[in-house]
Amino acid sequence: MNPKKIEDQEQKTLFGLGEKETLFRLEGFGKKLIEEVQKGEEPKFQMPLRSRSNILYDEGMKFLRIGNKKEERRFVSVGQAKKFMQTIAIANKAKKFISEDLHTSIRGLYYQLKVTLGEDIDEELFSEQSESNELIEDLEVALSVKREDFNLTTDRKGVVAGPLKIMDTFAGEETIIDGTKMGRSGWMIPSDVDNGMEFIDVTAKYVLVIEKDAIWQRLNEDKFWKKENCIIITPKGQASRGTRRLIRKLADKGLPIYAFTDCDAWGWYIYWTIKTGSMNLAYLGRDFAVPEMKFIGVTMKDINNYGFLQKLTINAKEVDLKRAEEMLSYPWINAHKQWIEELKMVLKTKKKLEQDALQGQKLTFVGEYIKKKIEINDLMP
Amino acid sequence: MLDVFDKFREYSVAEFFKKNRQMLGFSGKIRSLTTIVHEYVSNSLDACEEYEILPEIKIELRELENGNIVVKVQDNGIGIPEKLIGKALGQMLAGTKFTRYAQQRGQQGIGASGCTMYALLTTGKPIYVESRYDKTLVKCNLTIDFKSNRPVLTNLQKQQILEGQSQQRLDIVKEKNIDGTGVLIEAEFGDVKYDGGVYGIYEYLKRTALANPHAQITLIEPNGNSAFFPRSDNKIPPKPKDILPHPLGITAHDLIDFAKRSENNNISSFLQQSFSRMSANKVQEIKTLTQEMNFGKKPKDLNWEEADKLVKIFKQMKWIAPAVDSIIPIGKEQIEKAMKNILIPEFIAIAERNPKVFRGGIPFLVEVAIAYGGNSGKSNAEGKRSGDIIRFANKVPLLFDAGACGLTEAVKNLDWKRYGIKNFDECAITILINFVSVHVPYTGAGKQSIAQDEEILDEIRNAVQETARIMQKYIGNVVREREKEGKKKAVLRYIEQLSKDLSELSNGKNTDELTRKLIEIVEKKYSGETKEEKTEITNKKEGIEKSIEE
Repeated sequence: MNPKKIEDQEQKTLFGLGEKETLFRLEGFGKKLIEEVQKGEEPKFQMPLRSRSNILYDEGMKFLRIGNKKEERRFVSVGQAKKFMQTIAIANKAKKFISEDLHTSIRGLYYQLKVTLGEDIDEELFSEQSESNELIEDLEVALSVKREDFNLTTDRKGVVAGPLKIMDTFAGEETIIDGTKMGRSGWMIPSDVDNGMEFIDVTAKYVLVIEKDAIWQRLNEDKFWKKENCIIITPKGQASRGTRRLIRKLADKGLPIYAFTDCDAWGWYIYWTIKTGSMNLAYLGRDFAVPEMKFIGVTMKDINNYGFLQKLTINAKEVDLKRAEEMLSYPWINAHKQWIEELKMVLKTKKKLEQDALQGQKLTFVGEYIKKKIEINDLMP
Repeated sequence: MLDVFDKFREYSVAEFFKKNRQMLGFSGKIRSLTTIVHEYVSNSLDACEEYEILPEIKIELRELENGNIVVKVQDNGIGIPEKLIGKALGQMLAGTKFTRYAQQRGQQGIGASGCTMYALLTTGKPIYVESRYDKTLVKCNLTIDFKSNRPVLTNLQKQQILEGQSQQRLDIVKEKNIDGTGVLIEAEFGDVKYDGGVYGIYEYLKRTALANPHAQITLIEPNGNSAFFPRSDNKIPPKPKDILPHPLGITAHDLIDFAKRSENNNISSFLQQSFSRMSANKVQEIKTLTQEMNFGKKPKDLNWEEADKLVKIFKQMKWIAPAVDSIIPIGKEQIEKAMKNILIPEFIAIAERNPKVFRGGIPFLVEVAIAYGGNSGKSNAEGKRSGDIIRFANKVPLLFDAGACGLTEAVKNLDWKRYGIKNFDECAITILINFVSVHVPYTGAGKQSIAQDEEILDEIRNAVQETARIMQKYIGNVVREREKEGKKKAVLRYIEQLSKDLSELSNGKNTDELTRKLIEIVEKKYSGETKEEKTEITNKKEGIEKSIEE
């Protein structure tokens, strides 16, 4: 596949708004509220409601997104006054971070705002980080600005290797990241892959997302990415925001995305979260969903196709069975016959299978397995 | 003028009461002392009211090394004439009250003499009396000869205290309420104990002051502390009218007692003249109901069986209710003034009730008042305020036997939560209940609890509920106001920080103006409406959220 420039496609998302646009939105937010006050009205703002009742699966777009319900935040209300004030304090702090071109974590932000409200008020602006975490989401939703644009970082998790080059503009310096020159450890995916991150060159044929770091290391040692001309990513379990954004961006570049996870509750969860987005981050919608992603395995069917696996199954736990049943009830899952069969088999045999089992006979079998599956298109939706 | 003193009757009962002192309220050291003070203070109040004098009573207690307590009570009443000092303070059942049938503080006339007796029994010492009556000051010591129930006066001294006509003197006393006449009694008692708690003298006098707003009471406690209960109202309560007993309110014993003292020639005329609502027709009706009884014989020959029979017949007949003007309550205005003065509450609720009857015809009236907040209630063990029910019978505080009393029983199971009181035992609240009647149905000789007749219980319940409803409205308003105020404050406290951040966020300059405007908006909002608007706005049309999509 030919390398592609990403820029034109990037415009579709809200990511990487840039400091100018983000500042414009923050200031506009404040100005609108002040106008209301000057008219003698209560300051208030609306935002999409993030509760379960307003999260729906978009049949057409095939990801979880937030519905049309809105909620209003008003200052002159006992229940909301404090949160309102706190939200504005966060907005103001974000503005400062952007103006100073400094990044911090949501915990760093919390400490910046853990101040007393005044000499005669025995109360802190924030006294628990959970308070500020929640309001950061409010602000993201209210302004359609992602936290990464507020210069807020999250913990890095996830590793990538393979043929991709990224220009990383950070702390006033430009560094070229080459995914083929990361040795045994790979490149750790930062929390923000939008601001100051530019894909220079992506020559890979496809992207392989591997649940477990151990299997990723196996494939890295086998030079799988080199042999196959693909990008290998492990989210190391549940995918972080940065990892999900990176996968989304690679998908936007036209690369097929394949998932390779355990055949159990946790593995399925990781796959479907990357594919359709999660309830918690439904407000981020398409920017965090990869509906076009396909599932390689491992699957219950593999047990029949690869005889040695029969002896390597383990008993499914209560949580796996319960999860399988739940998944059967999700319309975006039970729309697929293959998944119904797969999950029913789990429920029937009460067995599960780990990625690692593929190494049972021969360590390098993992790569052969993946290669074969992609070749013959033995994939699940 | 002084015909009240002509009503003395003599009964040789000292010996009996010497053996049964608990019947007079002399049981337990604390209670004995309260009883003593009660008897003297009641006498003082009666002596003042009788002559329309605003009472000023001073009680001084002194503890001796041997544990005995000296009680000194001084009043500004009319005083006692020399020849009646002995009878008034040293002879059992010889008081002015015994032969009168009206609403009174005491009902048996054994009080002050009982105290003299108690002093003699516990210390062997006589009591000391000073009486300023008319224009003469008499000082003496007083003991009782138990065998004959006769008072013995010793060390008698007399002196003139004021020249002039006695009527003039009385006029001065009346008009100017000067400290001229009065009685001072000083007596030493053993087997008594001073206590600062709910059964003690302080509490008793506080309650007396609440029920007698026209009185001024000073207490000097054994430790030298003094408590002053100032007069709240200058209006002297009207004198209760003497009325004849109602046939439904008497017992066979009463009937024989009256008959023995009757000067009528026959029972028919005795009945007609001794009882209220007893017409000639009614006597005739009685005669037809007891044909075997001889109504022509002398009243003093009436025997127990006949008396018992008559009382039973009275109860079968229909009677016009007794006159209610014989009942003198404390009065709404007076209670309010007294409570304000003494309890300094946030709020007072008082029920105004009409007289009711019990036992078929005895009129009674219930006064209920609730004081809320301030110094209302009593101190509990932790020093916090706790709900208090204070009981009165004809304005006399009932401190003891609360458990057996109808006044307590009636409010015991009241659900205070319904009236806005979350926990009665942790609330500064005083419930005053005054039972007013010419005949208080005490359950014991100690006169500390009232019988639990259904009619009485019902009326008290209704009165307390009526009062509690008034209070509930007030508490509701206060709570609402406080909530509103609290809400306002809860929002106001964040204005400064919000103004600062909002200004900075939008590159605004005038933070102070923003603060001012915000305060205005908040003040305006909480001056009127209280309802919080719903925060969730639901758009009916489902669709893709454009702001995120594009």
